[in-house]
Amino acid sequence: MFNQLKSRFGAGLAFGILGMVVVWLVILVILPQILMIDYSLKPNLLPSEVGGPKDAFSLVNYETLFNNDIHLAIFFKTLWSSVLVTVLTLFVSYPIAFYLAKVATPQKAALCLLLLIIPFWINEILRTFSWYIILAYKGPLNALLLGLGFIDRPIRFLSGDGGVLIGMVYAYILFMIFPIYNAIESLDSNQIKAARNLGAGWIRTHWRVVIPHAKPGIATGCIMTFMLAAGSYAVPALLGSPGSRWFTQIIYNWFFEGGNWNQGAAYAFLLLVMCIGFIALVMRVFKVGLGDIAK
Amino acid sequence: MDSSVHLDNTVMQFGDFTAIQKTDLKIESGEFFSFLGPSGCGKTTILNMISGFLDPTQGDVKIGGKSMKGVPANKRPTSMIFQNLALFPLMTVAENIEFGLEVRGVPKNERKKASDRLLELVALEGSGTKKVSELSGGQKQRIAIARALAVEPQVLLLDEPLSALDLKLRQHMRTELKEIQRKTGITFIYITHDQGEALTMSDRVAVMSAGKIQQVADPITLYRDPHTAFVASFVGENNGIRGKVLSSDSGVAVLDCGPMGKLAGRSYGNLVVGSEATLFIRPEHFRLQSEEGMHTVHADIDEVNFEGSYLTLHANASANQALSIQLGTHQFSDALKIGAPVDLSYDEENAIIIAGEDNV
Ligand SMILES: Nc1ncnc2c1ncn2[C@@H]1O[C@H](COP(=O)(O)OP(=O)(O)O)[C@@H](O)[C@H]1O
Ligand SMILES: [Mg+2]
Repeated sequence: MFNQLKSRFGAGLAFGILGMVVVWLVILVILPQILMIDYSLKPNLLPSEVGGPKDAFSLVNYETLFNNDIHLAIFFKTLWSSVLVTVLTLFVSYPIAFYLAKVATPQKAALCLLLLIIPFWINEILRTFSWYIILAYKGPLNALLLGLGFIDRPIRFLSGDGGVLIGMVYAYILFMIFPIYNAIESLDSNQIKAARNLGAGWIRTHWRVVIPHAKPGIATGCIMTFMLAAGSYAVPALLGSPGSRWFTQIIYNWFFEGGNWNQGAAYAFLLLVMCIGFIALVMRVFKVGLGDIAK
Repeated sequence: MDSSVHLDNTVMQFGDFTAIQKTDLKIESGEFFSFLGPSGCGKTTILNMISGFLDPTQGDVKIGGKSMKGVPANKRPTSMIFQNLALFPLMTVAENIEFGLEVRGVPKNERKKASDRLLELVALEGSGTKKVSELSGGQKQRIAIARALAVEPQVLLLDEPLSALDLKLRQHMRTELKEIQRKTGITFIYITHDQGEALTMSDRVAVMSAGKIQQVADPITLYRDPHTAFVASFVGENNGIRGKVLSSDSGVAVLDCGPMGKLAGRSYGNLVVGSEATLFIRPEHFRLQSEEGMHTVHADIDEVNFEGSYLTLHANASANQALSIQLGTHQFSDALKIGAPVDLSYDEENAIIIAGEDNV
């Protein structure tokens, strides 16, 4: 790689570029992770005890989670809800991505993409707040549904997990739409016509032809959405009810309210491991390779 | 079974653009019918209307006498072979062939039997478990044919299916397609811009230009008796010589072709005396010896090409009248050299005069 860069930019610049990449990787990616693991393996000590006999590596911080039923329940609930968010986002995004890639004229597709992207120019917190307003008990959505006669009483969207789910589906929809859109876009339209011509209805055409082709894109979208959902803090903090706490909120509490960074680091590390393990498992089940996703 | 296809006063427009002008055409059951025309003339559009991917703006498509209005593409008794084949790359060869049967709920063992039988028909026994990407161009072509035949269509639509193959394979596949059509008795609707393909395989050919059907006839008639200047110059090679009509009577017309003198040929109907017309003579219809009743053109040789069993000459008869002539190799002599004058004769029977100065 260095030689390639050197032949293009000269030795000095190549060295500079590579140097910056290395510095970025080490200082901003690898070092913090190592620090966090180091933190997580040590007990929370008073400054005076640091370096003393109690300052030794142990797995105590990791055991805490498994001894706390409430935290454990929230841990698995976060996993399960993130799966739900991912599946819901997939169901919403797939038809949109297909429409954009194969049905809409180029002008219409460009307009739709613009409309999808514009809200994301606003900060995530503000966007989530707008959902807080929309979903409120006396908010516009309830007013609309009441006005149209679909419901007789306003719905408490924000009291269960509903608000969090809706908020997350919305927050991460682009991360799902774009990879799927790219994948479907690259499908030869004649493949769809051929399936139709051989008698396939729409469902089978998608199931046998479009989805298998789009699988890497679907996998990429699902992984991103799942990771973002599991690691989300703003959406559950703003749209969640006390009963729908996210594991990230517990990590936050350890760090900033409990003041126990060591415990927080262990929890954060467990969340990361769980996410990676879960994704690896799902990829295995659906026979998706890492190479498919990198495409 | 009636598997005729009737384009019943069909028109296809895209916005303001008329891709297919009003067409009324009946393709008979079991016929090998071709649409021949240059790229962009609307051939694929016609297939798309028959297969249900496009709804005609006006008129109707009838298959086996039944109107196809409102019948979606997946419910029509047609099967298409796409220009780029469109095999499913993520399925095996057998899965590709069986796809149409799978859709129809045919059980696995019967599907297997059908795909084995079809693989045999296209001479690819035992390739069922291969991936599509492992096949050569010609093999892919055959699998596309097998896949389309698997659903036992009444009408097979072929969109320039041989255009991606090399010359030798293309010629071989022509014979094979014709053979398959004979064996199955299915109506074949074949699209091509290659006149050789259309002429060798078809029972009848429709020549198209810019969304309009110019002439529908069997290949020999099309070659011998083109009705329009477009057909005369698009189907086979032709020399077009312009002139003014001097007389036109009982199927024979005479043109005043300026410096080339008066030339006569067959004509359709009576031409208006004094109007512009074009006389078409095929390269192989020129003779070096004049016989009784023949007409003669004087020209100078520009080029002599030896092609094996025949010779082609390029000659100019006047300032801007290039002629191409094809002679048997036995007619070669030292007199045929660049710059030499040559007398070219033709039989009136072999020349066609068509109204209009447009020789495309
Ligand atoms: N869906 C469409 N929208 C607009 N114009 C089209 C469409 N399909 C085809 N055309 C136009 O119709 C004409 C005929 O196209 P086509 O039938 O594909 O030609 P061919 O198959 O003879 O090459 C072309 O000018 C093409 O640009
Ligand atoms: Mg075409």
